[in-house]
Amino acid sequence: MNYMPGTASLIEDIDKKHLVLLRDGRTLIGFLRSIDQFANLVLHQTVERIHVGKKYGDIPRGIFIVRGENVVLLGEIDLEKEYDTVLKQVSIEEILEEQRAQQQTKVEAERAKLQALKERGLSIPRPDVLDEY
Amino acid sequence: MFRFQSLDDDCTLEEEEGLVEEEDEIDQFNDDTFGAGAIDDDWQEEHARLAELDERVQDIVGGGGDTVALPPPAVCVPPPSSLPPPSSLPPPGLEERGGGDFAESLARLILGADPAIAGVGAAGHDRIRLPPPTHSQPPPSTLPGPSHPLLGYQQHQHLLRRGTAPLQMNSHNIWENSMGFGPVSVTPVLGTHMEDSPLMSIIKEVGLPKRPPPIRSEDSRDLSERVPPPRSSSPVIGSPPVRAVPIGTPPKQPMSHVLNQQLHCPTAVHVRAPVQHRYPPPFPERLSPNTLLNIANSPLCRPPFPAGVGPVLSQIQRAQLLNSQVGAFPRGGPAPPLLPGGGGGFRPFFGQPPPRIGPHIPPNHNAIRHNTTHLHPQHRRMLTQRLQSRGDRGGRVGDRRIRDPYSNLMTQREKDWVARIQMMQLQSTDPYLDDYYYQNYYEKMEKRQERDRDSTRKEHTTKLITPQVAKLEHTYRPVQFAGSLGKLTMSSVNNPRKMIDAVVTSRTDDEEKREKQVWNKRRQILYTVEKMYSLLLEVQDFEKKFIQTPEEQREALLEQHKSHTLQLYNTLREREWDERVSDEQCLMIMSVRKGKRLVSRLLPFLPPPQAAAVVMAIARNMPALAKKDKQDQVLCWLVEPVAVVIQSLSSSALTDLLQELQGSEGQLPRVLQNKFGVTLLYLILSEGERMQSSDPNCQLMDDNRWTELVFSVTRELLKVPSSSLSPPLFTPPNLLSLFSRYVDRQRLELLQEKLQISALSR
Repeated sequence: MNYMPGTASLIEDIDKKHLVLLRDGRTLIGFLRSIDQFANLVLHQTVERIHVGKKYGDIPRGIFIVRGENVVLLGEIDLEKEYDTVLKQVSIEEILEEQRAQQQTKVEAERAKLQALKERGLSIPRPDVLDEY
Repeated sequence: MFRFQSLDDDCTLEEEEGLVEEEDEIDQFNDDTFGAGAIDDDWQEEHARLAELDERVQDIVGGGGDTVALPPPAVCVPPPSSLPPPSSLPPPGLEERGGGDFAESLARLILGADPAIAGVGAAGHDRIRLPPPTHSQPPPSTLPGPSHPLLGYQQHQHLLRRGTAPLQMNSHNIWENSMGFGPVSVTPVLGTHMEDSPLMSIIKEVGLPKRPPPIRSEDSRDLSERVPPPRSSSPVIGSPPVRAVPIGTPPKQPMSHVLNQQLHCPTAVHVRAPVQHRYPPPFPERLSPNTLLNIANSPLCRPPFPAGVGPVLSQIQRAQLLNSQVGAFPRGGPAPPLLPGGGGGFRPFFGQPPPRIGPHIPPNHNAIRHNTTHLHPQHRRMLTQRLQSRGDRGGRVGDRRIRDPYSNLMTQREKDWVARIQMMQLQSTDPYLDDYYYQNYYEKMEKRQERDRDSTRKEHTTKLITPQVAKLEHTYRPVQFAGSLGKLTMSSVNNPRKMIDAVVTSRTDDEEKREKQVWNKRRQILYTVEKMYSLLLEVQDFEKKFIQTPEEQREALLEQHKSHTLQLYNTLREREWDERVSDEQCLMIMSVRKGKRLVSRLLPFLPPPQAAAVVMAIARNMPALAKKDKQDQVLCWLVEPVAVVIQSLSSSALTDLLQELQGSEGQLPRVLQNKFGVTLLYLILSEGERMQSSDPNCQLMDDNRWTELVFSVTRELLKVPSSSLSPPLFTPPNLLSLFSRYVDRQRLELLQEKLQISALSR
C-alpha cells in the first residue's frame, strides 16, 4: 500500500529485513518492525554483523531500538540475493579476533604516521578531538 | 498487612488509618507501576509453581535430547514449601494423544500453571481431561466454584487486587502473563518432546498468550495499556491542555472490530513450519499479536474443544487466521518453504500478512492513499500507472510474506499516524511558492504528453489545488488580574516567556520622513565638516612639515598646502566661480558646533580676502547664527580670529562689514542680544575708531556710510533695553572716544552708562 507516493518513507519497509549502518560504524541486520516520525527504528531479531576483510561474523543481539539520528543509512535486504555473496561467514570468536587484529594494525599504522610527522615537525590533530563537522 | 497495636487509642487509630492509607497507596502505586499482578506473595508463589511445573514436565519428557539449544530456564527454583508437591506426573495422558490433542492439553496445562489454577492442578493431568465446568479441587484461595478455569482465575485476580481500578486489569494481565507464562518455563518441556510439532515450537519461541480478556471492558483496558497512569495536574493557564493521552502516543489499537470478526469464524488451523531459533523473545506480549491471540483464544472460553483443533493460536496461526479472513481459507496447505537458515540465526522470513484486518482487501490494494497526499494530478497519474504495472508483475513475493509471526506489530493506524505526521510537513498554502520546480516539472510533463499523444486537443493543464492550511492565531494573552501591576508570566510550551516587553511606537510616515530628513541633513553637515577638518589639519600641520621636508620637496608641499586651503574655501563658497561665501553653506556649517570651531581655526589660514568674505558672511547671518547659538560659548571662539581679520580689513571693507552686521531692520537688536554679536560690533567700531584716530587720512570718513552706520548703531544701542543687551566679551577701550565723536554729551553719558564704558580703559 503506497502511503506517500512521491516521497520516501520507511512505512513500506516495515516487516522487512534491513541492513542498518549506524554512526558508530556498526552494522545491524534485522527486521524492521516499527518506526516513528524521527525514523527511530525497532529492529527485531537483530544481528550485528562484523566485517573484516572477506569474512564476517554475526552476533545475535535481539531487539534493537535505534534512535533515528544515529542511522547513517539503511536498506532492505533482498532475501534471494542475501546468500550469494563472496563473503565468508565465520564464527563470532574468529571475527572478533580478526577485528581486534585489524584495529591493532590500524592503531600501529596511525602511531607510526604520527611519529613520522612529528619527526618532520608537523602535527595532525586527532580525529576525536576535532569537531565533527 | 500489619497493623500497629498501640495502647493509645488515638494514636492507634491514626496510625492505623495512616498505615492503612499508606498500604492502599502503596498498593495503588504498586499496581500503577507494575500492574495489579505484582503482588509479592502471589508472584513468588506463582513462580514457584511454575518452576515446579517445569520440573514436573521435565520429568515427563525425560531424557529426550534437547535438540534445541535453549538457554536453561532461569526459573529453576526449588519450589517453596507452600506448594504441595505434585503427587502425580502429568501424564501419560499427554503422550497418549495425538498432536493436536496434545497441543490442547499442554496448553491447558500451561494455562493451569496460573496461580489460581495451579493449586488445582497439582494434579495437572486431571485438568487436562477436565470437563470444564467445575474443578475437583478448588484453588487454594477459596474461590467460589469457578465455572471455568479462566474465569475462576479472573475472580481470583479480583480478590487479589484490592480495590484497584478496573483499568488495572489489563496491565495486570500483561505482567501476569509474563510471569505466569514465560516461555522459558514451558518451552523446554514442550520443545524437546514435540520438536517436530510446529505448534510447540511456536509456543517455544513465542510463549503463550495471556489470558483472554473478559469481553466487556475492552476499551477501557485498551486505553490503559497505552496510557500512563493519569497524572493529577491542574490545568495551567496558557499551557497546552492536559491530555489524558500524551501527545506523542501512537494511536491505540482498534480491537473491537477485530474481536468481532475473529469470534465469528473459529477455524481449524494447522500449524506449519517448525522453527529453529536461538533466542526466545523475552516477552512476546504485544498488544497486537496478543490481542489477536486472545481473541482467537476466546473459543477457548467455550466448552470442550472439538478434537483436532489447536487451542492455542500461535502467531502463525493467527496470521493464517487473518489470511483466512481475507478470503483465502483455508490456507492450511503445504508448509511454506523454509528458507535456509544461513546468516545468523534468523528465522525464515515469513513475511507480513496483509495490513488490513477485516474486510477483504480489494485486489488493487496498492492504491495510492488519497487522503494523505496532495500530488500534482499528473504525478498521481504516473504513480498509479507505475503501481499497476508493478502490481501485475510482482505477485509471487506476496506469497512468501504470509507467515511472519511478528509482522504487523505496527498497526495500520500507527502507520497512518506516522505518515500523517510526515505529510503535515508537506502542507503548504502556496504550492507554487513552496515547490515551484515540482509544479512546473509536472505541468511541463503533462503538456508534453498531451502534445505527443494528441496534438489537436488542447486541454488545460491540471493544476494542483492543495487545501489551504489555515493559519491559526496562536497568540497568547498574558493573564492579568485587575488592579495588579503587570502581568502574570505563565510560560508554557506554547508561549515561552517574554524577556523584553518591547512596545512598538508607531509613527506616521510623514513624521518619519521629516525626522529622517532632519537627521540626514545633519549627518550631511557633519560629514562635510569632517572632511573640512581633515583638510584643515593638514593645513595646520603644514608648518611643521615644511620645516621637516628637504628643500626640493618644499615646493611641492607648498603647492599642496595652497590647494588645501583653496579646497577648504571652496566648500564655503557658493558656487565654483563665485567668490562669495555661500550663505547656505556657511550657515550649515556653522549650525554645528564643530563647524564653528572649524571656521574659527580656518580663518587664520585663509588669504585675507577670503577671510574677509567669511567674516562678512558671518556678520550677515548673525541673527541666524545667534539663534542657533543660544549658549554663547561656541561662537565666541570666533572672536579672536575674527578680530584678527577685522584688523586687517580696509576701511571700506570695514564699513561693509558694519553694514552687513546691521543688515535689515531689526537685525541689530537681535545681534545685540548675542554676546558674540555685541563683541563683534564693538570690534568693528573699535577698529573703525582706531583707524580714524590712527590715520587721519583714512578713508573711513570719505563717504558718510560709516558715520551713518555709527549713528544708527548708537541709536540702536540707546533704544535697546538693557536687559536684552548682552555683555560683550570685552569692551574695547576706544569705544568711548568713538562715540564721543558722533554723539552729544547727553547721549554719550547714557551710552556710557548703558554699556558701562568707562573712560578708563580696561
